[in-house]
Amino acid sequence: MKFFQALGKIDRKIIFIILSVVIIIPLLKPFGLISRASSRAEAIFNAVDAIPVGKPLMISIDFDPGSMPELYPMLTAILRHAFAKDVKVVLLGLWITGMGLGEQALETVSHEYNKVYGKDYVFLGWKSGVLPVVLGMGEDIRKAYPADYYGTPLESLPMMANIKNYRDVPFFISLSAGTPGYESWIAYAQSRYGLKIGAGVTAVSAADAYPYLQTGQLTGMLGGMKGASEYEFLVKEKGYSQQSSPASQAMDSQSLAHLLILILIVLGNVGYFFTRKTISKGAK
Amino acid sequence: MQRTLPLAICFIMGIFMMVQFFVPHPISTNAYDIVLKWILIISIFALVLGVGSLTMHHTTKIRRKVSGWQFSIITIIALVVTAVIGLFGGIGRGSWLQVIFRNIFVPVNSTMFSILAFYMASAAYRAFRARTKEATILLIAAFIVMLGMVPIGSAISKRLPELAEWILTVPNTAAKRGIIFGIALGSIATSLKIILGIERGWLGGGRS
Repeated sequence: MKFFQALGKIDRKIIFIILSVVIIIPLLKPFGLISRASSRAEAIFNAVDAIPVGKPLMISIDFDPGSMPELYPMLTAILRHAFAKDVKVVLLGLWITGMGLGEQALETVSHEYNKVYGKDYVFLGWKSGVLPVVLGMGEDIRKAYPADYYGTPLESLPMMANIKNYRDVPFFISLSAGTPGYESWIAYAQSRYGLKIGAGVTAVSAADAYPYLQTGQLTGMLGGMKGASEYEFLVKEKGYSQQSSPASQAMDSQSLAHLLILILIVLGNVGYFFTRKTISKGAK
Repeated sequence: MQRTLPLAICFIMGIFMMVQFFVPHPISTNAYDIVLKWILIISIFALVLGVGSLTMHHTTKIRRKVSGWQFSIITIIALVVTAVIGLFGGIGRGSWLQVIFRNIFVPVNSTMFSILAFYMASAAYRAFRARTKEATILLIAAFIVMLGMVPIGSAISKRLPELAEWILTVPNTAAKRGIIFGIALGSIATSLKIILGIERGWLGGGRS
């Protein structure tokens, strides 16, 4: 009986140590578990692939460093795909704490493809208020963003000459860790202006996005680190990039961490099942 | 007058914005443009109010030496330093603000979030018990989705990802859709109550 009681009372310090080991070992020595692309990831990939050369892909960074392991690899993989296809990129965000990440991703990926700022990509940055920014860009991007992140007037950026509002944006992706996020873009930019939207979300909020996928309001979805690894897989498979794939490498750790949590839940339940009579007798 | 004027503005603007959505006439769209500019200006004021409120809250804590007041000093210093560096040193590539962001904010914020994984593992082990029929169903569904959504799931069985997908697209979507409809109807009802002046909580307390 003591054995089963112990199963239900494993010290949290032991759990923390085992979880750390389970996460760190695959990062140091990956097993190479492959994430095949889901239909949702393929839908986003195909929508980016279908953007005509010279037309823009708009990406909104609606996350902060807390969700970086899941959403930042999506951002870099999508940027690599877009730049390899000579698709222009307009980057902006609804989370001020995500702007440094946008800057970092553009700095890294633009150099890999020799892309020029203002000609191949533009970083609009963040503006106070969600509603006026999302709705305002539907009328005229210049009204919401008279200047870019660095203070350069949009008029002086050659790429922006042919981009007035959402009608000039064939596809939009919101990388979203909460509110404001993809739901804000669906509610205001899609319902009012018909913007075609895809979303990259954290694993914990992926279940919330399924109704929007079924209604077609979301073209596709990348869910959590697995979604990021699926996009990395597609970008590599089609030969758009051979750079390292951080999400794919971390999937081994995530797989083992999930397995460990499930084993712990089983152990806890076995302990509970064999000791519940004793517990209820004690209570009486 | 103190209450009548805000209520009148709320009623007129609420009705106007509802009607405007369905009228594509230039007069209507021009008026919409003006409203958008107003909202932009008001939201910037909200930012100023936010900074003011944060500063007042923490200076009061420091003055009164409330428990943990030392952290308030760090907050105020961080606010002033990042604002000054951003305003005078720029925010672009290679700026000091970027250095602070990448070397302090990113590691600190990521660490806070990473700790969650450990607490979740411990909490799941302690709290996730098959005590009732409902809890058992939830437990089985969680098992399938947790395994089916990672590569190791398909290594165990090819059917696991399919089953996880079915749970997410059928029962999950049905439940979520019900919740979304409920929230939407509640939002419409609350909005109408505010526009028509039935719900007046947003005006704050005081005399009626």
